[in-house]
Amino acid sequence: MLLEKTRCLKAAAQLSSQTVLLKELSRLSSHGGARRHFGISRPLAAKVPPPRKPRERVDIPGLEMVTYADRMHFVPGLTKPVGPRWERDYKDPRYYESPPAHEMPLFKETPCYVFNQRTSALEGVRQALWLTKTKLIPHLPPQLLSLTENPANQIPDQDERVQNAIKHARFWDTTQERPGKEKYSNTLLLNLLHLCATLQSSHPAIGRRIFSEKYSLAATWKRGEDVFQIRGQNGLLHNCMDPLPEVSGKQEVADTADHVLEALYPVSPTIDLQKVHVYKDEPNCTGFRGDYPYPHAHTLYFLEGADARCKLRPEQFRAKMLMFTFGNALVRAHKAYGTQPRHVLDRPITVQAVGTNGRIFQFMVLQLNTTDLSGDDGIKNQVWLEEDVELYDFAKVRPLIKKKQVKVPAGLTGYKPEVFSKFLALYLHGAV
Amino acid sequence: MMAVSCLTRALRSMTLSQPALLSSQAITQTGLATQGPKMVVQCRGFLTTASLEQNRTFWKQREKYTIKPMGMKKTGGRDHTGRIRTHGIGGGHKQKYRWIDFQRLRYEPNNEAKPFEEKVVEVRYDPCRSADIALLAGGSRKRWIIATENMQAGDIIKTSGVIGRMAVSANEGDAYPLGALPVGTLVNNLEVQPGKGSEYIRAAGTSGILLRKVNGTAIIQLPSKQQVQVLETCIVTVGRVSNIDHNKRIIGKAGRNRWLGIRPSSGLWQRKGGWAGRKIKPLPPMKVYVNLPSISAK
Repeated sequence: MLLEKTRCLKAAAQLSSQTVLLKELSRLSSHGGARRHFGISRPLAAKVPPPRKPRERVDIPGLEMVTYADRMHFVPGLTKPVGPRWERDYKDPRYYESPPAHEMPLFKETPCYVFNQRTSALEGVRQALWLTKTKLIPHLPPQLLSLTENPANQIPDQDERVQNAIKHARFWDTTQERPGKEKYSNTLLLNLLHLCATLQSSHPAIGRRIFSEKYSLAATWKRGEDVFQIRGQNGLLHNCMDPLPEVSGKQEVADTADHVLEALYPVSPTIDLQKVHVYKDEPNCTGFRGDYPYPHAHTLYFLEGADARCKLRPEQFRAKMLMFTFGNALVRAHKAYGTQPRHVLDRPITVQAVGTNGRIFQFMVLQLNTTDLSGDDGIKNQVWLEEDVELYDFAKVRPLIKKKQVKVPAGLTGYKPEVFSKFLALYLHGAV
Repeated sequence: MMAVSCLTRALRSMTLSQPALLSSQAITQTGLATQGPKMVVQCRGFLTTASLEQNRTFWKQREKYTIKPMGMKKTGGRDHTGRIRTHGIGGGHKQKYRWIDFQRLRYEPNNEAKPFEEKVVEVRYDPCRSADIALLAGGSRKRWIIATENMQAGDIIKTSGVIGRMAVSANEGDAYPLGALPVGTLVNNLEVQPGKGSEYIRAAGTSGILLRKVNGTAIIQLPSKQQVQVLETCIVTVGRVSNIDHNKRIIGKAGRNRWLGIRPSSGLWQRKGGWAGRKIKPLPPMKVYVNLPSISAK
């Protein structure tokens, strides 16, 4: 039928001046095959439309399809015979297809909500507080801040050395004009930690600590009927041989039972968490082996620019800090007291966290009082959070000049010494 | 053209096959053949029709809903043959498409079907339309919808599919079926078939008026003063669409039009025919989208 059409068109084209068309038609018909072109007044050569999806094969159970299998050749009107599915009898890792989720051995009906290092929680710290059953206290505990008022706990020439550290991180540590944010925030943190570590001669307990990075944390807990997990590599962890002393006394801990957790209605607390059906039961893992000489977590250091793929806003960054600090504390509680939920821990576990983006710092102290997180009542955990403290105002390579007036001079401006004292206080907590 | 080709294919198969044995199979084949190339893609909110050759969304291949903005491919007014189908479109700033959920009454997969509330997280500008869009968060999901006039971040918005005996005093931004709203309310995002998703009254500053409710149907006046009769179970949102000063904006210069992707019209003076000029004519008859049972059906 296609050939007849071509012949008709050829005859028509000889009379009319549309000889170009037949060349196009023959080209197209030889290439495509089944495309019928009834119209000849518009061009035939155009952008090829996307391939049509093949006809949907309907499988009616109980209805036997008549195939041309026994005839051994194609018969129009009969369906194509479908043979049994072939499976390789040996195991070849190059051609392995994983089974669908519901056939996996670890599949469970109840889903698990996982908080990983790239999660950006919609409600931020409020959502993290509900998930971890924690009470928020706005400032750092006063006994921590009073640590640095003692001159024995201060570094000689502290302000000058910290300003040098900032200048090194922001100006000197590059061959380019200015270092990038990930680089300077990392350098600044390491410089500040180095400064704090110079106090080791007067505080020998600092020597019983070590840093570790890229360890994978896994913690599980139940909240209501839902199972929650924290997994991932979080940041720089400062480990210690001795546990941190508790920050609030037994009376305050008992008083938290009266605190009511803030409800997130109409948003569910599981929003933005990754929902999985295939998960291991109770994978509590600190990231270290059982015989690690520094079992207790002291401080976690988070950098905003650590993960390039995931840019978190300040509220979401604080939520991530809170969740991972809680995860570290919970895992160590499970190891010490067992995985059964306990209403009150005899010795509450304290973990600290510091987050920075190179200029603005967030300080956090979390005290885990209970592992019984299924109900909303009872004793809560406590977190002291100090948010958005600026170490310095500007660190400009070139001065900011507006209308020939210098608004912000070049170099470091607006240095605030009390922020480093807080940093030092958190560092020295437990070593004084 | 596509319909003709598949019809001929189906007819050809019918003549060649043995009619006695395979009539049922041929019928199913015909049925499948006529349905297959229609590209009825089962996915959220992706309205595709076979007859519309110049489909602007060939680039939209995703089936799962997401709030992440997606890159969009501009057509320049060209259709699949490559020729200009609509003049005056082309260029303009690059735009990312934010997938709007037009079916407002969409329950979360694991929840039961009852009225629910959602929180407005942010209201922002959408380059793809004149209205502003709002990010709603409810339960464990987030979605984009068309924002109404006074919607702000932090509002709680209600969506309900229940028609009570008494009319509900609706707040702006809430979505109810037409049968539950009092007569005279300003509505937007109208669905003409229940569950299909809203197709009318979505532009900036527009609103329709619910004129009257007649047994199981409701009559709405669209912004063009055309009246439409739809089932009362169709969901609408209450209020005017956001960005009400959109029609008062001044473009100011030709360049701003080019940024919007509007190419200049042809400067050739063309004699205008009978279509041009002001026409004063009566309103077209009311469009009925309801299959009312005919009187002769008794």
